[in-house]
Amino acid sequence: MNLITQAQLAEWLDGLAHQRTLIAPHDVAGVLLYRPVESSQGIAWGFARPVMSVKEAFFPPTEQLLTIQKSDGGIELSETFQEGEQVIFGVRPCDARGVKILDALFLDKEPVDPYYARRRANTALIGLACKAMGPTCFCTSVGGAPDEASDMDVMLYEVEGGYAIEAVTEKGKTLLQTMEHGQQTVEKPFVKRQSSIPNPQSIAWPAHFNSEYWPRMSERCLSCRACTYVCPTCRCFIIRDEVLPFTPGKPAAGAFERIRCWDSCEGENYRRIAGGHRQRAEKSERLRNRFFCKFYYYPEQYGLGQPSACTGCGRCVDICPVNVDITEVLTDLAG
Amino acid sequence: MAYEPRIIAYLCTWCSYTGADTAGIARLKSPANIRDIRVPCSGRVSPELVMRTFDQGADGVLILGCHIGECHYESGNHRAAKRLPILRALMTYAGLEPERLRLDWVSASEGERFSRVATEFVDKVRALGPVKWRVPSDEIPALTQQFAAICGDVPLAEYDCAAKTDTIRAKAKELLTSGAVGYVVGYEVGPRGRTRPSFANTPEEADKLVWNPDCTYNLTTYLGKKRRPAIKGIEQPKPVAVVVKPCDSRAINVLLTENQFPREQVYIIGVTCEGTRHDHGALQVRCQTCNDRVPIVYDTLIGEPPSAVPDHPTPVALKIAELEKETPAGRMEFWLSQFDRCIRCYACRQACPMCNCPVCLYERDDSLWIGMGVNMNEKRAFHLGRAYHLAGRCVGCNECERACPMNIPISLLNMKMAQEIEAAFGHRAGMTPVPSPVVTVLAGEYKEG
Repeated sequence: MNLITQAQLAEWLDGLAHQRTLIAPHDVAGVLLYRPVESSQGIAWGFARPVMSVKEAFFPPTEQLLTIQKSDGGIELSETFQEGEQVIFGVRPCDARGVKILDALFLDKEPVDPYYARRRANTALIGLACKAMGPTCFCTSVGGAPDEASDMDVMLYEVEGGYAIEAVTEKGKTLLQTMEHGQQTVEKPFVKRQSSIPNPQSIAWPAHFNSEYWPRMSERCLSCRACTYVCPTCRCFIIRDEVLPFTPGKPAAGAFERIRCWDSCEGENYRRIAGGHRQRAEKSERLRNRFFCKFYYYPEQYGLGQPSACTGCGRCVDICPVNVDITEVLTDLAG
Repeated sequence: MAYEPRIIAYLCTWCSYTGADTAGIARLKSPANIRDIRVPCSGRVSPELVMRTFDQGADGVLILGCHIGECHYESGNHRAAKRLPILRALMTYAGLEPERLRLDWVSASEGERFSRVATEFVDKVRALGPVKWRVPSDEIPALTQQFAAICGDVPLAEYDCAAKTDTIRAKAKELLTSGAVGYVVGYEVGPRGRTRPSFANTPEEADKLVWNPDCTYNLTTYLGKKRRPAIKGIEQPKPVAVVVKPCDSRAINVLLTENQFPREQVYIIGVTCEGTRHDHGALQVRCQTCNDRVPIVYDTLIGEPPSAVPDHPTPVALKIAELEKETPAGRMEFWLSQFDRCIRCYACRQACPMCNCPVCLYERDDSLWIGMGVNMNEKRAFHLGRAYHLAGRCVGCNECERACPMNIPISLLNMKMAQEIEAAFGHRAGMTPVPSPVVTVLAGEYKEG
């Protein structure tokens, strides 16, 4: 593997930022988020794991699918597609795995989602291996690893004196053509694996469906949506047509947009149907659904080649305002 | 063409709308900028409606009603008189020029007054120029204003928690054994060492309850119907016991006045409080500004009230004062840069004991008040709307800010509203079982100006 210095990496990223949108971990008033940055100077170097995952870059919280314009005697529909290439720097292996899991739904099965597909094709992932597993990380329990490169386009490993770099895909090789580096090579560093969390495959999920465990463990859940929104693989959405607001100089009425927003199975009105019926009225049913979806429904339905639709990033563990803990659920059910 | 503002006027049908007619009949000059909306009463003009009007691009909103004492519905205009100044303070704080929102009184016979008020208002708004309230989607400015965390690092002195833990356990055990309560809501320490809310259903489970400086959660949020845990098939007709700190006990008072539950359905285990800690070990911001050491309402009190209350700086109040000195544009930029991070996860709302509407106004299926998009205008409407709905009800437990995964300084909104309510009505939420003055219509509370 080639060795590059921090300066060479920054120069390369600056070059990339000129040609396309560079998205990287950025400090936004003390909160670490993936945001478009002008140059490598905007990157929060030494970051651990941004609060939100890279899911946002492919499947944004809100996106306009199409606009609807009423005109004389007809309706005009025009699709809104994202234009321009983007490259994401600083992707952690768990997030890249998350993108693969999203692919299973949006790309690998018909019908293909054109909005997602467009973004996916326009985006390259530059990964950065973790130096060590964080206190809430458990990627090794769900089939990942802190230095897993297979889901990236380019992979970097922090080593003494810079970074070890390798291209993983053809897309990655093209990106690396503009990189200047010396001939020095370096070994891929070893990252210590540590996780005492049981593998979700060791749990007989259907047997636990009617367990009294769920009402008890969900007692303190607030039914907010933080866990699903920070999750790299939660992908429920809701689509609605909304009236576009009046803008001076444009026709006063008849303009609408169709938008797609994230939805969350933890929200109280999730999938409410005509008549106001809610399939999962109790929070225990909603929370149970989140874990079953991750560890049973999704792998089953989409034939993922991995044990779960959870990547073990630990974001939901960190973010939950009342300490609902996915690893605790795994430990309890395996025990 | 010279700039002409678009003004929306909400006119009470009984007086001001007729007043406008009178002005027309008398051939008095009134500005053509005003689009009248006829409403049954100025009290009908809810603050959400005014915010929505600005969100949709109005340059100014004029609300005219009957003079105080002449309301067709007796007290409808009291509501307007109480709510709109509070709303104006909130919107000004968020960056709107205060001159763009005006409430005044015009009777049916006062055609001349209507003409004068309308002309004055339009002239003022015209002088301000086009409104910048609505943020166009393609013009979201680079909002990068850094906001130094308002936590400060006030260390929390160690204090003895073991005795309180023992007493809480003993009390919970006693209540559960005698069958006086169905379950006890308290605190426990989870496997990761994080303190968290806990529900003890049996006397044995009472042993997991603890008290420590990390007991930051406001457990009264679990008392409302919405978040009360329900186990299918198991009815919980029995009262519930809840462990409360002084701030939490104020929340109970507010919930009681709003008839969320009868008093006898809740057994309150009050605990004296020396302050709670943040994740990183320093004193919580809310505790830095808090002087309440003993719960206001309780059935059992645990712990001795501390003799001396330490005098801390009040970082939130200082920041509010600093923001008030800013220009409207500066305040707007500050708030947009904060709301920019919001992901509409609703953790703030869900953690809040006061946010107990069955369906949140801002999460309706029909996008009536705001769209469902996670965009700047929607996010601001949600946060300002929530702040307004908490005016006179928020007890300052600040759980919303703690729950926020994006560190949005929500306390700056809620504290500002609390200051406004205290200044206008002398009301502090939850100190006594009295409802928020903005939801009542009592006569004699109206203050001119």
